Amino acid sequence: MNLLDIRNLSIELIHDEQSILAVDKISLSMKEGEVRGLVGESGSGKSLLAQALVGVLDDKWHVHADRFHWRGIDLLHLSIEERKALLSRDIAMIFQEPMACLDPTTSIGEQLTEAIDSGQLSGFFWQRKQQRQSAAIKLLHKVGIKDHNACLSSYPHQLTEAFCQRVMIAMALARRPILLIADEPTAAMEISNEGQIFRLLASLNQLKNMSILLISHDIENITHWTNTITVMYSGQFVEAGTTTQIFSKPLHPYTRALVDSSPSANLHLPAKSRLKTLPGSIPILQHLPIGCRLGPRCPRAQQACVKAPSVTNFHGHKVSCHFPLTPPSPLPKKIIKGDN
Amino acid sequence: MLVFTLRRLSLFMFTMLLLTLLSFSLNFLFPGEAIINLSGAINATPSQLIELNEAYQTHRNFFWQYMTYLSHIINGDLGLSMASQSDISTEIVNLLPATIELSLVALLIAMLVGIPLGFIAAIKHNKLTDNLILSVSMLGYSVPVFWLGLLAILAFSINLGWFPSAGQISLLFEIELVTGIQFIDILLSDSPYKWQAFSDATAHIILPACVIAVAPATIFIRLARTSMIEVLETNYIRAASAKGLTFQQIIFRHAIRNALIRIIRHVGLQFANLVTIAMVTEVIFSWPGIGRWLIESIYQRDYTAIQSGLLVLSCFIFIVHILTDFIYAALNPLARGIKYGA
Repeated sequence: MNLLDIRNLSIELIHDEQSILAVDKISLSMKEGEVRGLVGESGSGKSLLAQALVGVLDDKWHVHADRFHWRGIDLLHLSIEERKALLSRDIAMIFQEPMACLDPTTSIGEQLTEAIDSGQLSGFFWQRKQQRQSAAIKLLHKVGIKDHNACLSSYPHQLTEAFCQRVMIAMALARRPILLIADEPTAAMEISNEGQIFRLLASLNQLKNMSILLISHDIENITHWTNTITVMYSGQFVEAGTTTQIFSKPLHPYTRALVDSSPSANLHLPAKSRLKTLPGSIPILQHLPIGCRLGPRCPRAQQACVKAPSVTNFHGHKVSCHFPLTPPSPLPKKIIKGDN
Repeated sequence: MLVFTLRRLSLFMFTMLLLTLLSFSLNFLFPGEAIINLSGAINATPSQLIELNEAYQTHRNFFWQYMTYLSHIINGDLGLSMASQSDISTEIVNLLPATIELSLVALLIAMLVGIPLGFIAAIKHNKLTDNLILSVSMLGYSVPVFWLGLLAILAFSINLGWFPSAGQISLLFEIELVTGIQFIDILLSDSPYKWQAFSDATAHIILPACVIAVAPATIFIRLARTSMIEVLETNYIRAASAKGLTFQQIIFRHAIRNALIRIIRHVGLQFANLVTIAMVTEVIFSWPGIGRWLIESIYQRDYTAIQSGLLVLSCFIFIVHILTDFIYAALNPLARGIKYGA
């Protein structure tokens, strides 16, 4: 059974009576204990998708989905409160810029203890405070913070970014989540701290069988930590498959370009030659191209690309392109998304 | 925290220096002789004038004159009132507490009404409640205070008869002046009618304090609303909601404190405005405060009283300003540190 199964999720921005489709029919499924990477350039709607999953988007964003199952429960049939309660119990999220995500006026200890669900505590109400305190210390130990007293009494601005991110992870763990969504957890962090955070996430995945949805723009770095990867471009689904499939045999021209643009793929290039990149940049939300949004930048674009391609499945390697690169063998195509 | 306090104190010292410099220079800018303006002795005999010139050291240069002026102020000698020939410092000691009382009560009312209303408007952003609160605050802000005061007297004192229209307390009660703040004096006194006096004084203060509070309260509504809207859009509120906290928990544990930090500094700034409104209101409600006394002094061209009154009032406003800075530091851990202590 899939842990999370989302089909055709769209997020619309309603602004001055015109709507912009920021995320266009994304499908995403996750198995228990899986680490899935969600890769795309900045502005491709990865963070939006994650925030829509946890339900923390503002009123101006409208979210639609054809299917939204969480551990077999159809969330679309639940009321907003029930859905929120269920999701906040099972899904936790850590954000980029951890320092901005901690209340600057409240001490770490207070913020950490309030994240602990009172359902986990036993005993009378006068014992609760003590229990919360010891639970908070245990959580800090779990994320590798040894000096718990100093940490609990300090304020966010007194800690480093990596330290704050550890605290954020500790808060996320407080509810013992089944899925952890990590939205660029190491953005604006030094490379050594980055490794520590990723190792911590990997150990949580292995020891506690916690599934992780790892959002990043850096495909090369993320391949060390993930089992499967989903690639997005400008709010559209591009490609999904296992990490080896995506990294060694990408089917979509965009994934190919992403892989090629990483430094290790460019090692054999002669000195002072240009790196391989796609021309142009990601379109802004007000001027999205019709059809496949990669169209204007795609080296393989043809006339058919003015219509959005449907998702094709090659042995679990899904790709959304009219002209995929080296399709393995002409297997019977299983069409999942049929909008044209 | 010590560094923070020292910084505030040094700021206070320098501002006071500038203020005294201004009031000192006013003596030369006002019409008439500087020594008369300084001392207020309009009926001085030539021998007294010589004594005064000696006391204020007018034969020396401006710097020493200023220094002598400062020493006079520090010793509590603000000169004589030109109009009544009474000692200004005793008059101020008698009158200032009433103004402090009135303006602090008004500030309290403005904050207690304005800030929660602003928060409610922000939480119900772009809904009917929000628009209603905003329009009422716009209305309250545009009503001139002298008209509002007369209207309040007409409605609540004359037509409804709920509150008295003038004065600080009914003349029937004899309260000994100890601190000058009437409510404290009433509580300290051993009169058998203590509690009747207390309720009478409360009835007297409600109407003028509410009239003063209207304009600042509307400003607090707007400030509280904008800062709450800003806080609710920050990442830490979003993270707190992803953490699984309910909306009430988010508002009471995180949003209110952060929004208050953004408001509290403006409260100090608004206080100057509030005291100006209080001066006008004191005239309307015959409140025996320093504002009414100062306005009367302006009518009577009592230059000595004007410059001393200005000095004392601005000193009071500045002290309140510093106090709000301390409250700000208590609420905001960022301001307490040495690094951010500016």
